[in-house]
Amino acid sequence: MLYYLTKRLGLSAAVIGLVVLVLFSLLHLIPGDPATIALGPRATPEAIARYAEKMHLDEPVWRQFLIYIGNALTGDLGLDVFSNRPVTAIIMERIGFTLALVCAGMGWAMLLGIPLGCLAAVKPGSWLDRVTGVLSVGTIAVPSFLVSIWALLIFAVQLRWLPAIGAGEPGQLGDQLSHLVLPAFAIGLSWVGYLARMVRASMLEVMGENYIRSARAFGLHPQRVIFGYALRVAILPTITLIGMGFGGMISSTVFAEIIFARPGIGKLIFDAVMARNFPIVQGAVLVATGLYILVVLFSDILIAWFDPRVRESL
Amino acid sequence: MKPTATTRRGFLGTTAALGALGLAPAWTTAAFAQTGGTLRLRIDGDNDVLDPGFMTGGIEIEAQKQCLPFLAQYVRDGDTFTWEPTYFVTRLEQRDATHIDFELTEGLTWSNGYGPVTAADVKFSYERMKDTDWSGYFEALDHVEVTGERTGTIVLSKPFAPFIMITLCHGPGAVLSEKAMADAGGEFTTQFPAVCGPYTYEATPGQRAVFSANPDWTGPAPAFDRVECNVISEVKAAERAFEAGELDCTEVGADTLARYAKDMPDGTGIAVAGELQYMWMGMNTEHPKLQDIRVRQAIQHAVDVDTILQGAYSGTTPRSHGIICPGLIGQRDSTGYGLDPDRSRALLAEAGVSGLELTLRTLNNQERMLAAQIIQSNLAAVGITVTVVPLDSGPFWEMGQESKGETWKDLELWLMRFGTTPDPYEATQWFTSDQVGVWNWERWTDEEFDRLYQEGINETDPQKRHDIYVRMQEIMENTGAYVWINHEPEAFVHSTDIVVNAAPSGELNYRRFEKA
Repeated sequence: MLYYLTKRLGLSAAVIGLVVLVLFSLLHLIPGDPATIALGPRATPEAIARYAEKMHLDEPVWRQFLIYIGNALTGDLGLDVFSNRPVTAIIMERIGFTLALVCAGMGWAMLLGIPLGCLAAVKPGSWLDRVTGVLSVGTIAVPSFLVSIWALLIFAVQLRWLPAIGAGEPGQLGDQLSHLVLPAFAIGLSWVGYLARMVRASMLEVMGENYIRSARAFGLHPQRVIFGYALRVAILPTITLIGMGFGGMISSTVFAEIIFARPGIGKLIFDAVMARNFPIVQGAVLVATGLYILVVLFSDILIAWFDPRVRESL
Repeated sequence: MKPTATTRRGFLGTTAALGALGLAPAWTTAAFAQTGGTLRLRIDGDNDVLDPGFMTGGIEIEAQKQCLPFLAQYVRDGDTFTWEPTYFVTRLEQRDATHIDFELTEGLTWSNGYGPVTAADVKFSYERMKDTDWSGYFEALDHVEVTGERTGTIVLSKPFAPFIMITLCHGPGAVLSEKAMADAGGEFTTQFPAVCGPYTYEATPGQRAVFSANPDWTGPAPAFDRVECNVISEVKAAERAFEAGELDCTEVGADTLARYAKDMPDGTGIAVAGELQYMWMGMNTEHPKLQDIRVRQAIQHAVDVDTILQGAYSGTTPRSHGIICPGLIGQRDSTGYGLDPDRSRALLAEAGVSGLELTLRTLNNQERMLAAQIIQSNLAAVGITVTVVPLDSGPFWEMGQESKGETWKDLELWLMRFGTTPDPYEATQWFTSDQVGVWNWERWTDEEFDRLYQEGINETDPQKRHDIYVRMQEIMENTGAYVWINHEPEAFVHSTDIVVNAAPSGELNYRRFEKA
C-alpha cells in the first residue's frame, strides 16, 4: 500500500509539474505583449513597466519559470495584477463555494442515481428499468449550462421560488443553502443518469455471480443481498467514476457559477481570463488541478480499502 | 468492514428536511426584494484598486463617487452634457483660462477621525495625480494654490477648456484625505483610508460591495440607506437577475434593449446614460491597395450603415456622423457621403481598379462579426472581395501600432470602437499627426487638423468649439478613410420605482438615485 501511495503521489507531482509548465507557457504563447494584454491598450508606459517588473517579465523565460515554481512550492502563487492581493488568498476565499457546490451536486446525484441504478438492475426489463434508462440517457445528453439556464428561467425568473444569483448572506446557512439548490441541481442532473447507468450495469454483472445466488439460496433478505453483498462489489467502478466526476465537476461549475453569478474557482478563472489577469488564471487552474488529482487519488485509495483484491494486487 | 446503514425512512426524512431548509429562505428573499431602503445593483467585478491614481476605472469610479468628495458633477442641459458644482463646494468658478477658484462647503469631515475636508486635501489629491497612472488627466495642472482653510485655486499651466468636464467631474477628480493617505502609506487598494460622502464601503470579494449610510455625513441624505452591488460579470446573468426581481437596475445588451423596447414588461423602464462610444470602419491610407482616395470613397459609398444598425445592433444604436458623440459639443448631424453603390462602382472604374481583394480585421465578438459580414456583403456587391479576420483583443489592439511589430503595414480595413469622456477634445486627440502609428492607424496627417486640435483645447466659447470640432470631423471624413457606423448606448433597465442617475460614460451614481 505504501509503495502504491508513493507511486501515485509521484505521478501526481509530475502531472502538476506539467500543468505548471503548460500554464506558464500559455502566457508567453498568447499573441501580443503580456503586459499590454493584461493592462489594456491605453495603459501608460509607466504602468506597463511596473507590471513587467512585478511579473518578472524583464527576466529570461526560463528564469521566470524557476521563480514561479520556487514561489509556488512555498504557497506563493504571485499577486493579482490589479489589486496586488496575494493570489493564494483570493483562491482561498472562493474555493469553499466551489467545493460546496460540487459536493451538493454530486451528493444529490449519488442519492438518486445509485438507488435508481440498483432498482433498475433488480428488475431488468421492467417499466421502472425502462423509464430509468430513458431518463438517464436524457439527463446525460443535456449539457449542464443548458440545465442551469432552464432552471434559472423556470424556478427563479418565472416562479420565483428560488434565488437567481449569488451565494447567500454570509453566516446565514439557510440562505446559503437556498442559493445552492439551483446550481447544484444543474451540475448534478447529468450525473444522476451516469451513476444510474453505471450502477445498473455493474449490478447486473454482480447479480449473476455464484455468491449472490448462494446468498439467495440461504434465504437472506433480498435487501440485504442487494445492498449488503451485491452493491458493495458493484459500487467499485462507480467510486472511480465519482472520483473523476468530482474533478470534472470542478471544471463544469464554471457555467453554473457564471449563470448564477456565484463566487467560486470557475468564475474566478473565467473573470481572470476575460481580464487577462494571468497570475489568477495560473494559480486557480493549478489549485483546481491539484484538487482533481487529490480526489482521484482519494477514490483509488477508497477502492483499495473496499476491495481486498485491489490491495493484494498492489 | 460494515456496510453503511442507511434506511429508506431515514433517507427520505433527511432529504425532506434539507429541501424544506433550502426552500424556506427563498420566500424570505423574494419578500425582502420589495422592501424600501435598499437599492440592489450590479457591478461587473470586484473593486480592485479604489485609489484614483491607480484604478482601472469604471466600477471603481462608482465607488469613489459615493465615498469621496468631488468638486463638480455631470448634468444634462437639454440635449447636451455640462457640469455643475457638487454639494461639496459652495463655489467653483473658472476665473480665466488657467484659474479655477473653489470654496469647500463648511462642516465636511473625514471618517476615522481625520478631521475636516480642507483645501490642502484638494491640493494634495490633485498634485499627486501627476505622478500616477492617470496623470494624463492632470497634464494641464500646474499646481493648486491654497488660499484658506476651505478655499483655493486650481492653476493650470496652459489653457485647457475641458479640465472641469473630463477631470473634475470624472474619477480622477476625487479628493482624498492627506493625513489618511500618509497613514496608509501613500496608496491604497480595496479599502478607503477615510471617506466623506453619504456612504461607507465594505466589500466581500467575488460576491458584493455594500454601501451603508455614513453616520458622519452631514450633507443631503441619499434616497436609499443601503446599496448592495452584486458582482455579476456577465450582462446576461444580470438581466436574468433583474427579471427574477433580485436587482433594481442593471446594464443591458443591445438585443435585450431591443426586446424591451418592443415589449416593455410592467413596472420596467429603460434609461440611457449616454452614447460615448464611437465606432467606424477605418482604412489605411498608406496601403498600396487603398492609396487612391477614389477607392476609399468608393468603399464609403458602398457600405450600408443602416443595415448594420439593424442587423448587428437590433436598431438600438444611433447612426454616427463622426467621432463626436451625441450630447457633446461638435456633434455632426450628417455625413458628406451616403449609400450609393452606383457611385461606388463609378469611382472604382475611374480609379482603374477591378477585382480588388481586401482584409477586414475585427474584434471577435457577436456584434462586430455581424457588422463585418454585412460590410463584406456590401462590398461584394460593388466587386470588392473582403476576407473577414476575427482577432482576440491582444493582437487586435496592437495591429496598428508601429511599436508592436510590422502588422500595421498589412492593415487594410478594420472595425474600431473607441470610448470617450463628455468633451470633444478626447475623441480628437487620437488622430493628430503625432498619433500616426500609435492610434491614428489610418495614417493621414493634416496641418489644419493639428492646429484646430490646439484651438479646441484653448477655446472656451461653446459655439466656437462646436465649429472647430465639426470642421475637424470634416477633415477626417474627407480623407476617405472612415465609414462612421454608430454610437453604442450605455443603457440600463430599471424598476419604475426608481430614477436612475448615471454619468454619460455609464458609471452609476448611487447617491443621486431617487425613488419615483
